[in-house]
Amino acid sequence: MFRFTHPNNGNRRNLWAASILLLAPLTASAEPSLTFVSWGGAYTRSQMLAFVQPFEKLHNMDINVLDYNGGLDELRRQSRSLNVKWDVIDMEPADALRGCREGLLLALDPKMLAASDGTSAADDFLPGSIQRCAIGTVVWSTVVAYDSDRFKHGLAPSTLHDFFDVKKFPGARGLRRTPKGNLEWALLSDGVKPGHVYPMLETEQGLTRAFSILDKLKPNIVWWDSGNQPPQLLKNRRVVMTSAYSGRIYNAMAENNPRLRMLWDHQIWNFDLLAIPKYSRHQQQALAFVRFATASPQLAEQARHIPYGPVRESALQRIDPALRRYLPTTPDNFRNAMQINAAWWSQHYKAINARFQQWLQRPVGVPRRLPH
Amino acid sequence: MMSIAIDSTTRQDSLYSDHHVGERRHAVYTFLLCIICSMPLQATATADGGNSADITNLKQRVDILEQRLQQLQGDTLDKKEHATEASNGLQPSQPPVKFGGALRFNYFLKDYDASLKKRRGDIGFDLFRVNADGNFGKLYLSAEYRFYTYMNTIHHGYVGYHINDRNDIEGGITQVPFGLLPYAAHNFWFGIPYYLGLSDDYDSGVKFHHHDHGWDWQLAFYKNAELGNAADLNRYSYDPVTTGAAANQESNTVNARAAYTFGKNSACANELGISGMTGRLFNTDTRANGDRWAAASHLDSHCGRWNVQLEMARYGYNPRNPAGVSDRTVMLGAFGATHDIAARGTVYVTNLAYNVPVPWEGVKLLTCYNDYSMLDKDFGFDTSYINTTGCLINIGPTYTYVDLIRGRNMVYLGNGSLADGGSGTWRTRFNVNFGIYW
Repeated sequence: MFRFTHPNNGNRRNLWAASILLLAPLTASAEPSLTFVSWGGAYTRSQMLAFVQPFEKLHNMDINVLDYNGGLDELRRQSRSLNVKWDVIDMEPADALRGCREGLLLALDPKMLAASDGTSAADDFLPGSIQRCAIGTVVWSTVVAYDSDRFKHGLAPSTLHDFFDVKKFPGARGLRRTPKGNLEWALLSDGVKPGHVYPMLETEQGLTRAFSILDKLKPNIVWWDSGNQPPQLLKNRRVVMTSAYSGRIYNAMAENNPRLRMLWDHQIWNFDLLAIPKYSRHQQQALAFVRFATASPQLAEQARHIPYGPVRESALQRIDPALRRYLPTTPDNFRNAMQINAAWWSQHYKAINARFQQWLQRPVGVPRRLPH
Repeated sequence: MMSIAIDSTTRQDSLYSDHHVGERRHAVYTFLLCIICSMPLQATATADGGNSADITNLKQRVDILEQRLQQLQGDTLDKKEHATEASNGLQPSQPPVKFGGALRFNYFLKDYDASLKKRRGDIGFDLFRVNADGNFGKLYLSAEYRFYTYMNTIHHGYVGYHINDRNDIEGGITQVPFGLLPYAAHNFWFGIPYYLGLSDDYDSGVKFHHHDHGWDWQLAFYKNAELGNAADLNRYSYDPVTTGAAANQESNTVNARAAYTFGKNSACANELGISGMTGRLFNTDTRANGDRWAAASHLDSHCGRWNVQLEMARYGYNPRNPAGVSDRTVMLGAFGATHDIAARGTVYVTNLAYNVPVPWEGVKLLTCYNDYSMLDKDFGFDTSYINTTGCLINIGPTYTYVDLIRGRNMVYLGNGSLADGGSGTWRTRFNVNFGIYW
């Protein structure tokens, strides 16, 4: 054990006095009264500006904001050790559902979410965005993007089907290197109704059909892995069209390429939710925070900092129409949008991804270099 | 080499998470806390009691440090975005040098070998090879050494430098940039250009490579053939050799190749190219330099599952032979053997391949092809032909070429010759080459 000794007792007293004085203000500010966990980057920045900092000012308190990579492992660990350090978590729908089922999350009362004009939460929120243990915030979306300069004389693509039609629109296509979303798009482009997509993907025939549609596109596909690549692929003219996150394309349009366009036809969307761990030590403050963060003014403010669509209709109305047309949840854009079924994917991802990886390895064309 | 795709079920690529930044922020907290906590110790060491002025100073220091902490927090938020963007593109670290290799066996049956026909062919060891490919920043290397039962030899070996995204330079034993690349055939046995030293040829020298917006330019200077010893027949690719009465060897050769790909990265990518080669042909008997040259144009069309390759090449050797030695033929050698070729001729290549879609999960690749080439020789020599129909099957790490090779007046097929004479009869060889590659 460390024992501090000093030859001068007077000095020792001074030392302790100085230490206490110095550490007192630090301990006050080093113990935030709420810990909020989110995904970091531009997304967290939008949350900081929209509701974290305003909430801190409103309640004269500090919020500790942490980053994480999603999933429930850490929350499970904290819950098991009865040492829950997190108070509010930004989650994906599948995690929120699972966390609720496992008893890791606090059940929330949707009554606390009524709009300021009295509209009930059920009428104001997107269907499915109010879960038993989590409240939706923003919608993010995968769309088809293209450079309008590449399509002259009114021959620009206008539907998802055009993305898959290499005869009418020759050229390379960018797609994210994952089966998620691509298989759904393949079937949708082939005329499958959105409601039939997932049941069909559960059958061998349906999967084969989806892969055979991707087969036709395969020689044209340039695969991307991270969200910043699609705008680059378009800028470098490596592809004529690409799947992309709508927010990324909006940013690219605003920053350096106003010629970019987004096709909202069959956009694939998902949303984020806020949830409170069941054993949070600051439940009342956490509830107040979630109520504040999911209120229309805050969601509208967040959309100003990152072009993801608020899940509340009342929030959408608060957004400048010029910006609104770039949001996934704007009615015109959302008409035939399809929500990715995160729960379905959590169940089937492993098997389908194995098949997808094998499919990726099989070249469509004759390889340029054969072993000799 | 198969690429391994990495896909995460988490959404870090879409919503930009990065826990490293959080760690960094904690490190900043810890660092500042340590500084602050250590200050009283330093302060007391200099204080002799009644030092309230020091405490006031320390409080001011703490205020400054707190401001600095807040500033760092702000910086961290800014950096977070960039850090997460960078982390999205992270690939798992790889060793600087990767080693690979192959072990191959060969089965063959020839219609012009009666005893072999009676045995229904022979099977045997073909090759063991070791490959090394390395990257050290902008420097890279590639080498391959081959072990056959009748010879061991280096296939290629060079060091390269990535000047930038569009330019590379390589020095060592490199593939000669000429005609269809990397090979003017799909099959195991190759076509006539290979046996003329006009395809898959490797020499010692320096090669510059520029590629930009569909253009591909290669310029090379080769001091001599790969081994630097024209008498050594234990080599992989065909060159003029000095053995027996033959005394010509290549030296100081310049190669240039320009190709443009129409529809690069599209379903139909068509490469059109021209190539040229000129160099010295030194005769060790006369100690005089002759010359040699070649020119080619090619089309390499990859359209969906189809691949069409066309090439026409014209070549000429002007040896300075001693009196009495014919200038109409030149001897080439490789694989421990030699053959004569016409000193001038025109070679034509027409290859067609189709990548067959297969329903079987284990089969990664089934490519079937028909490769045809002919040599129209000057001096009234008989034309040579070779036609190979076959398939390449890739299952797991194995690649198997199943080829039906038919040739007329073609070397290594009966009594065929790429020079004068030979046999006017079509000969057939059935060849299966089975290889495990790693």
